[in-house]
Amino acid sequence: MAPLVQVENLEKRFDAIRALYHVSFEIEAGEWIAIMGPSGSGKTTLINILGGLDHPTSGRVVVDDMEIGQLSERELTRYRSDKIGFVFQQFHLVPYLTALENVMLAQYFHSITDESEAAEALRRVGLEDRLEHLPAQLSGGEQQRVAIARALINHPKLILADEPTGNLDEDNEATILNLLHELHSAGHTILVVTHSQAIGNLADRRIELEHGRLARISLPVR
Amino acid sequence: MTLRSRSMFWRIFRQLLRASRGRLTVALIALSSGAAVSSALLNINLDAEQKLTHEFRTLGANVVVAPPSSGSDAALADAAIMDRIVGPSATQIVAAAPYLYVAANAGTQPVILAGTWFDQVAKMNSWWNVDGSWVTSRDDRSHCLVGQAAARQFGLAPGSQIDLRAGERNVSLTVSGIITAGGAEDSQIFTSLDVAQNLAGLPGRVSLVQLSVSGTPSEIEAFTGHLAGTLPGLEVRPVRQLAAAEGSILARISGLIFWTIMLILVLTTLGVLASMAALAMERSRDVGLMKALGGPVERIMHLFLAEAAALGIVGGTIGFTIGVMLARWIGGRVFGVAISPRLAVFPVTIALAVAVALTGALPLRLLGRVRPAEILRGE
Repeated sequence: MAPLVQVENLEKRFDAIRALYHVSFEIEAGEWIAIMGPSGSGKTTLINILGGLDHPTSGRVVVDDMEIGQLSERELTRYRSDKIGFVFQQFHLVPYLTALENVMLAQYFHSITDESEAAEALRRVGLEDRLEHLPAQLSGGEQQRVAIARALINHPKLILADEPTGNLDEDNEATILNLLHELHSAGHTILVVTHSQAIGNLADRRIELEHGRLARISLPVR
Repeated sequence: MTLRSRSMFWRIFRQLLRASRGRLTVALIALSSGAAVSSALLNINLDAEQKLTHEFRTLGANVVVAPPSSGSDAALADAAIMDRIVGPSATQIVAAAPYLYVAANAGTQPVILAGTWFDQVAKMNSWWNVDGSWVTSRDDRSHCLVGQAAARQFGLAPGSQIDLRAGERNVSLTVSGIITAGGAEDSQIFTSLDVAQNLAGLPGRVSLVQLSVSGTPSEIEAFTGHLAGTLPGLEVRPVRQLAAAEGSILARISGLIFWTIMLILVLTTLGVLASMAALAMERSRDVGLMKALGGPVERIMHLFLAEAAALGIVGGTIGFTIGVMLARWIGGRVFGVAISPRLAVFPVTIALAVAVALTGALPLRLLGRVRPAEILRGE
């Protein structure tokens, strides 16, 4: 069976700056991968390309048999709604929509909305009593749990989490990591961008970037 | 519960309106103001033609019926034509005055005598300045009106007596008023038609008939053609200068109103643009996020276009209502009569307001170009 993600000789330039080059790796379905490296090493650029938010300059990126570099804008939009679940460091919820509506928004862009399914997704992340709350009425941890519920609602092939605990205190970090752990146990494929060695050690494998290059792929230290 | 996409659309739409009510209120005020002035001007434009043609009818005759100008006998028509003129087309005729012009003498000096129907002349020429009083009865055989130049020539004042002679016939009349018309009338003496006919020995004859006809220049033209058909052997012609002046004034007023509305719509669009530009700045992150979540650009843009269209409909409705009141007030001040609201203006106002709102929403439409990766990075 082909790997879920294949990256071959990926290069990304922003004008004269090479953000990524000679990056190659594969990810099997159901793996939890930590993408690590210092600031400016290209972690977010890599996750943006995998998520269809950016085009590679050269090289091949294949996710679930779709070569991202060959997709038109319209196909990329469809790719994002069908295959990808995003979790951002800044949560990125729509501020004027309730927790429930934020989850339903992803359904709306994907196909049709199902309020009970969206409510169930929020219940699974422990927010059954926060359905009608606006993001501003939720704590950081709660907002990130809404974002996770939103990321899961369309049953994506790949969950991309960019520093998902970067803005959270220890308690909330633990909650979010438990959720990611549960998702992994349920068979989801997860890529987490992180600076944290502790989080990196929870993953199946660690892809380490330095100055835009793949420094090493390592197993976590348990 | 499964919701159709349309339900979710309106759910997001409502939340969007609620979240942006401050900026949208500013845009709504701009739209309502523009729509109000446009609606008022459109109402005035539609009513102005009617009001102005009514005003023009106080400026004298605009149609003349006369025998063909060849031969002295043929230059006189039978006074019975008055029955045929005012009969079938009476509704459009504001006033109809027959005239018989007689070359007479006052003492040893010649003067033009104009025999007519005083009541109709008064109606047709209400702008004439009269020192003394009008002769109000068409059958008054003892009074006359004297043009100011003739009064000066013969030393006449209201209450004076004047003896007029034509051939062997003569008549003595009392001057009721001295008129100033600013034209040939200032040198003439106006008597009742009977007096002129008796003095000239031409009973039942008239030189011409002056008509004041209501309607737009094209309606007057049509009336003239119709009347000419019913009066064979007579010339029916519009007073070209007056008709042309009316047409020109109406065209200029319409042009002025059109360009004023255009200017107002441009200014309103700029006002809406300013609000929407600020709104677009606020929403760029949300749009970037929606695109990152797989939101098709057209689906996101439909939200903003629906918002702009709703703004246009509400602004247009408010504007139309205010515009009707404004038109009534302006009508009262300018024409002395309230402008009647025209329902036809309502859809036009709504269409203009929606067009302005959609044009003003350009900054929101440009949000479709945002690159989600850049927005989410905070660039």
